[in-house]
Amino acid sequence: MRVLVIEDEERLAENIVGALRETGIAVDRAADGEAGSYLAEQDVYDAIVLDLMLPGKSGQKVLRDLRRRRLHTPVLVLTAQEGKESTVELLNAGADDYVSKPFDLGELLARIKALIRRAKGVSTPVLTVSDVELNSVLQTVNRRGNSLNLSPTEYRILEYLIHRPSVFVSKRELLEHLYDFDWDHHSNVIEAHVSNLRRKLNVEGAEPLIETLRHRGYRLCAERNVV
Amino acid sequence: MRSVSITRRLILTVLVLEIFSAIALIGAITVHERHLELKAFDATLRGSADSIMGAIQDGVNDTEDLVLDMPGMQLPKDTLFRVEDERGKIIGSVGQVPEQIALSATNATTFQNVQVSGRNYRFVVRHGIRILDPSEARGEVRRTITIVYGTPVDHVWHEVLEAIRFFAIATAILIGLTALLMVWLVRRCLSPLHELALQAEGITPKTWQFESPASAMEILELQPLVRALEAALARLQRSFEQQKRFTSDAAHELKTDVAIVKSSLQLLSMRKRTVEEYSRGLALGLDDFTRLEMTVQKMLTLARLEQPSELATREAIQPSCSLGEAIEEAVHQSRSFADLKEVTIVVQIGTRAQVPIDRRDAVLLCSNVLLNALQHSPPRSSVHIEMKVTGGSANLTVRDEGEGIRNEDRLYVFEPFYRGDISRSRKSGGTGLGLSICKAICERAGGSIEISNLTTAGAQVTITLPEQR
Repeated sequence: MRVLVIEDEERLAENIVGALRETGIAVDRAADGEAGSYLAEQDVYDAIVLDLMLPGKSGQKVLRDLRRRRLHTPVLVLTAQEGKESTVELLNAGADDYVSKPFDLGELLARIKALIRRAKGVSTPVLTVSDVELNSVLQTVNRRGNSLNLSPTEYRILEYLIHRPSVFVSKRELLEHLYDFDWDHHSNVIEAHVSNLRRKLNVEGAEPLIETLRHRGYRLCAERNVV
Repeated sequence: MRSVSITRRLILTVLVLEIFSAIALIGAITVHERHLELKAFDATLRGSADSIMGAIQDGVNDTEDLVLDMPGMQLPKDTLFRVEDERGKIIGSVGQVPEQIALSATNATTFQNVQVSGRNYRFVVRHGIRILDPSEARGEVRRTITIVYGTPVDHVWHEVLEAIRFFAIATAILIGLTALLMVWLVRRCLSPLHELALQAEGITPKTWQFESPASAMEILELQPLVRALEAALARLQRSFEQQKRFTSDAAHELKTDVAIVKSSLQLLSMRKRTVEEYSRGLALGLDDFTRLEMTVQKMLTLARLEQPSELATREAIQPSCSLGEAIEEAVHQSRSFADLKEVTIVVQIGTRAQVPIDRRDAVLLCSNVLLNALQHSPPRSSVHIEMKVTGGSANLTVRDEGEGIRNEDRLYVFEPFYRGDISRSRKSGGTGLGLSICKAICERAGGSIEISNLTTAGAQVTITLPEQR
């Protein structure tokens, strides 16, 4: 998963970015409205954290421009303003959720994750595909009752694929959603991680889960059941 | 407090004046009426006496040479008269004419007031000459006749009283009508005042709309009141909105600072960390906390400076310090920041001057202005501080060689939390309160602060303070 944080307040942005990275989410950060707008319109993010008071271009304008371009990336707004009117205005302008400052970092993370889940059509943190169970809160994976020990990147690949079952996910898409701009974009890295993941998922008596199609990408083959 | 009604007072005043003039008028009428009636009375008296004179006839026998013959002659009631000749012979009389009436020797007709049996009478004394028939043998005989004729004067007074009564009743009716008319007129005249009050009543901190009613603006006497109301409201609204903006800006500022501190600590406690990570995180958290503390401190400073102090008005304990020393101390404090930015500070202090500011505030003022200039200075430029004393005031100018100030910012730059950008970006540092604090210090001391652009490059802050002698 990859999140964009548009926040001009240096220290606050650092903290949010740090917290998101620690929960295994790739994060990019924009320090002003214009850069934020540009990045958001690349449509590679699974969620956007948007501050309202931004230099260059206000948060409201960034949000409105994003929706005008028919981009439906979930947006969580950070606000320090009082009053209900602005909240109503924000939700009407296309925000999906808002948190007022000073917020609880844990709550902010939980809300971002919930937004990402819901945008992908899932409402609970426990996802099941075939006989694989993924808990996105505890970040654990079980197959047939066996706990699997995945590396953070392997977990993130599986989490992304599990959100898009029966669809071919290209290497490029995986790269875009798993890594922020600070990382080296190398498709070989993805290949290595997927092969490791496939090996770890290979529990006795189970069918192979990840299907590879040349030049098209990867697919989680079984139908998904949500518990 | 006893309230006074203008309507009642006005009507009462007019009525009292009217009543006084009515009384004076009635007095004048009484005098005049009495004069007229008496004149008419006297004319009647004279006429009656004349007709009696005409009724004197020559006698038939020798013993009576003159007789009074007045068949069918109507005399008013209670008339008294007596006709006699120069020998004292009474030719005729009705009633008893009192003796005290002086029969003057001259031939002039005289009038006299005499009381007869308790009633006021007016008598006329008339003289006439009769010549007895000259054809008689006795020859021509001249008789001087004196007529004393009087009637009661009561009815003169009765007429005068009647006239007074008529005027009094007419005046009373007129005054009554005026009073009613006045009530209506005054109420009508005061109705714009009620409308104005109704408009003013609708003003609350939420609705500042005040449209002065046209009826009130039409009245010359109400115009100053309406204008004063409008001006006062505009001032109040401005300060109210400034206060509201300050509160909201302060809340935003504090919330952001608290959000930073809180998220720093929460990030640190998300999982177990190494000792190095903890100590680094704590140091960062402490920095964040220091910034929060600084914001709070500056807000409190501003609040203190904006509060009107009773002490400041008392001559004896008025603060005082040397502006020159304050500048030197501020320069000393800012030296390291200037070195960091590679900016040279050029100080020029002419005459020393004492200004009515607390020493700490004076240093705060100078260092805030200086830091602002340094922040906007490009590297390897210089900041000029100059102090002059002219005509009882100390002038301090601080010039930088930066990008200057945008014209749209000039008006707002001294407002709290204004940063020349809606985002209130903190990259430039500071809390956005520095220049507001400067303004508060200057205004408290009765001085002023201004910012302008230099024709060359950069901005100039001009501070004018009253000099203490």
